[in-house]
Amino acid sequence: MTAASSRKLIVLAAIWVVLLLAPYWMAPLGGYTALATRVLVLGLAAMSVNFLLGFTGVLSFGHAAWFGLGAYGAGLTLKYLALSTPLAVIAGMLLGGLCGAILGTLLVRRRGVYFAMVTIAFGQVFYYIAFQWSSLTGGDDGLRGFARQPLDFGLFKLDILSDANIFYYFVLVCFALVVGTMGFILRSPFGRTMIAIRENERRARFLGIPVERHIWIAFTLSCFFMGFAGALYALVNNFADPRGLHYSQSGDFVMMAVMGGMRSFWGPLLGAAVFVVLQDYLSSITVNWMSFVGLLFILVVLFFPRGLLGFFQRSKA
Amino acid sequence: MATGNRPWSVNRRTILTSGAAIAAAQITSPFIITARGETPIRIGLVDPLTGVYAAIAQGEVVGAKYAVEEINKSGGILGRPIELLVEDSANDVGTGVQKTRKLIERDQVSFIIGDVNSGIAIAMAQVTSEKKVLHIVSGGHTDPVTGTSCSWNVFRVCNATAMDANAIASTLIEKFGKKWYFLTPDYAYGHSVQASFEKVLKAAGGTSGGSLVPLGTPDYSSYLIQAKAYNPQVLINVMGGGDQVASLKQFVQFGLDKQMAVGGTLFELESIRAVPDAARIGWWTMEWWWDQPGVPHVAEFNAAIKKITGGAATARNWFGYASVQTLALIANQEKTLDAPKLARALSGFKLPPQIALQPGSPSYRAGDHELMSTVFVGEAHPPQGDPDNMFTVRNPVPGEKAAGSVEETGCKMQWPA
Repeated sequence: MTAASSRKLIVLAAIWVVLLLAPYWMAPLGGYTALATRVLVLGLAAMSVNFLLGFTGVLSFGHAAWFGLGAYGAGLTLKYLALSTPLAVIAGMLLGGLCGAILGTLLVRRRGVYFAMVTIAFGQVFYYIAFQWSSLTGGDDGLRGFARQPLDFGLFKLDILSDANIFYYFVLVCFALVVGTMGFILRSPFGRTMIAIRENERRARFLGIPVERHIWIAFTLSCFFMGFAGALYALVNNFADPRGLHYSQSGDFVMMAVMGGMRSFWGPLLGAAVFVVLQDYLSSITVNWMSFVGLLFILVVLFFPRGLLGFFQRSKA
Repeated sequence: MATGNRPWSVNRRTILTSGAAIAAAQITSPFIITARGETPIRIGLVDPLTGVYAAIAQGEVVGAKYAVEEINKSGGILGRPIELLVEDSANDVGTGVQKTRKLIERDQVSFIIGDVNSGIAIAMAQVTSEKKVLHIVSGGHTDPVTGTSCSWNVFRVCNATAMDANAIASTLIEKFGKKWYFLTPDYAYGHSVQASFEKVLKAAGGTSGGSLVPLGTPDYSSYLIQAKAYNPQVLINVMGGGDQVASLKQFVQFGLDKQMAVGGTLFELESIRAVPDAARIGWWTMEWWWDQPGVPHVAEFNAAIKKITGGAATARNWFGYASVQTLALIANQEKTLDAPKLARALSGFKLPPQIALQPGSPSYRAGDHELMSTVFVGEAHPPQGDPDNMFTVRNPVPGEKAAGSVEETGCKMQWPA
C-alpha cells in the first residue's frame, strides 16, 4: 500500500515537473511554447469530457458546445464588458456551465446512444446560433477584436499577451486549479457514487443513490470545466469561432480521451498531447495527416482498449 | 501474467511496443533538427490544404512555389536563397493561428502569406501584427481584411468582395436592367455580398427581391419558383462551391436561363472546371484570367504553370505567385527585412508588368493596403477550343474604379510607434 501510494506520488511529481519545465524542454526538441499551451487547454477539455465519460460512464458527443460557449463568453466579456482576463475566464465558465446545467436537466433522462444523440442535437443548436447571430458573434467569420489583457496584481503586472512563456504559466496555474478541483471531487464520496453509477447503475439505484440527480451534477460540473477550458482557448487564439462548437470538435475531444485512456485521470491529457503534437508535426509534412491520426486511433482502440496510458500502466504492473 | 516469470520472454505486447517505438522514432527523429547549414530567408504560407477549400489552396501553393523557384534563380532576397514553408490550417481558426505562431516562433520566418479562409486570415493577422511580421493575405476575400480589421502589416492581393460586386453590378445594370433577385447563402459572407450589390443597385434606382438559402441546400425549386414569380431581369447567385453548382444546374433545368440573366461575383476557374457544361453560364468576375492577348508576360506565366499542373493558370496560381514576388521585390528594393520599413514602402507600391500580369500596373493602396487589381468581368461558357477557355472577358474594370474610396472600406490604419 505504501509502496503503491509513494509510486503514485512520484508519478504525480514527474507529471508536474514535466509540465512546469515544458517551455524549456519543448524548444530544443523542435516544439514551441504556444504548442504546449494548446496541449494544456485541449487536454483540460479532454479531461472534462472524461470526467463524465470515464468516471460516470456517460458519453456526451456535444461537449464542444460548452467549450465554444466558454470561448464566446470570454470573448464577448473582453470585447463588450470589461478588459479583465480573470473576469473573462469566469464569464466563459459561467456561460458554458449554466447552459449545460439547464439542458442537463433534459438530458439525464436518456442513456447510452440516446444520450449521445441528444447531446449532439443540443450542441448543434448552439453551433447554429453562433453561426447565424452575426451581429453579436461575428457569424462564420468568428468573434474578433478582443485580446487577453495583462494581469494586474497591484504591486506588479504580468504581461500574458506578448510573452508566450508567462502566458503558458498562467494557463498552467488555471489548469492546476481545475485539475485539482476535479481530483478533489473524484476522491470525495460524491466521486465514489459517480464510479458506482458507471459500474452498475441499477445497483447504485438500489443502494438509494439518486442516479439522475448525480448524473446531472456530474454533467453540470463537467460543463463548467469545459466552459473554463473554452475560455482559456479563446485567450490562446484571441478569437472565437463557431467551429469550436461543432460536433466534429466534440468528436476530437472524445478521441483524445479514448486515445489517452478514459479510465485514468491523466490519460486524456496524454491523448490531447499526442493528438495536438501529431497534428502539428504531420500536417507540415503531408496533407493526409488525418489518416495517420485516424490510424493511430484505430490501433489504440484495437490493441490498447484502456488507452495509451492504460497500456503503459499495465505493462509496468 | 504467466510469461512474466522469464526475464527474456518476448510476448506479443513487447513486440507491439517496440514496433510502435521504432515506428515513432522514424517519424520523430527529424523533429530534433532545428538548424541547417545555410540560412535561407524563410516565407511561411498557411492555407487550408485539407477541407472544402483544398483545391484552391493548392493552387496558391503551386503559384508560390513557382515564384520561389524564379526568385532563387535570380539571386534570392538580399543575396540569400529563399525557402517556402507550407502549413495546413485545416480550415480551422485555432489550427491556423497555431501554425502561424509555429512559423514565426520556431521557424523564424520573415514573412507570412495566407489564408484562403478570411476568418482565419483575420485571426492570423492578429498574430502577425502582434509579432510585427509582414503579412500578405493571398486569397481571403471578405471586406474586413482591408476594411474595419485592417492592420499596418497586412496587405491583400485578391480583391475585396465589395470590389467584385461593384465591378459586376454596373455591368449587369447596363446590360440587362435594374430589377434583380438574389439567391444568397444565409450567413455573414452572403449577407455582406448582397449588401454590396444592393448599394450599387439602389444608387442606380433599381429594385430587388431575394431568398436567403441555408448552406448545403440540395433542392432549389422553391427558391427558383419565387424568383420566377418576381420576374427579375437578373438573378444574382451568391451561392458558393457545391451550392453554386447545384443552383446553377437547376436554374438551367427550370429553363429560367431563357427568361433572365444570371450572374454574381466569383465563379473561379477551379469551380467552372468542376461543373457540367449546362451550368457553365452567366456573368461573373475573374480576379485574374490566363487568356489576355496583347498583355506582356501573361502567356509565359501561363505556359510555366501549365507545365506544372497540366492546366491553364488560375487566379489562385497568380495570387500565390504575386504574393511571394511582392515580398521579394520590396525586400530587395529596401535592402532590409524590417517589417515596419517594408510595410511603409509597400504602401502605394506599384507591381511591375512581369508580376502584375494584367493591363496597367496595379498598386497596393496606401489607405487600406488593398491591391488595386483589375476585375475581369465576363461571361462563362462551355469550352471553346482550349479546354480551359470557358470564360470570355467582356469588360475589365480597373481596381481603383471598383474599390470605391478608402473611407467606404472603414479602414483606419494605425502604425506602430
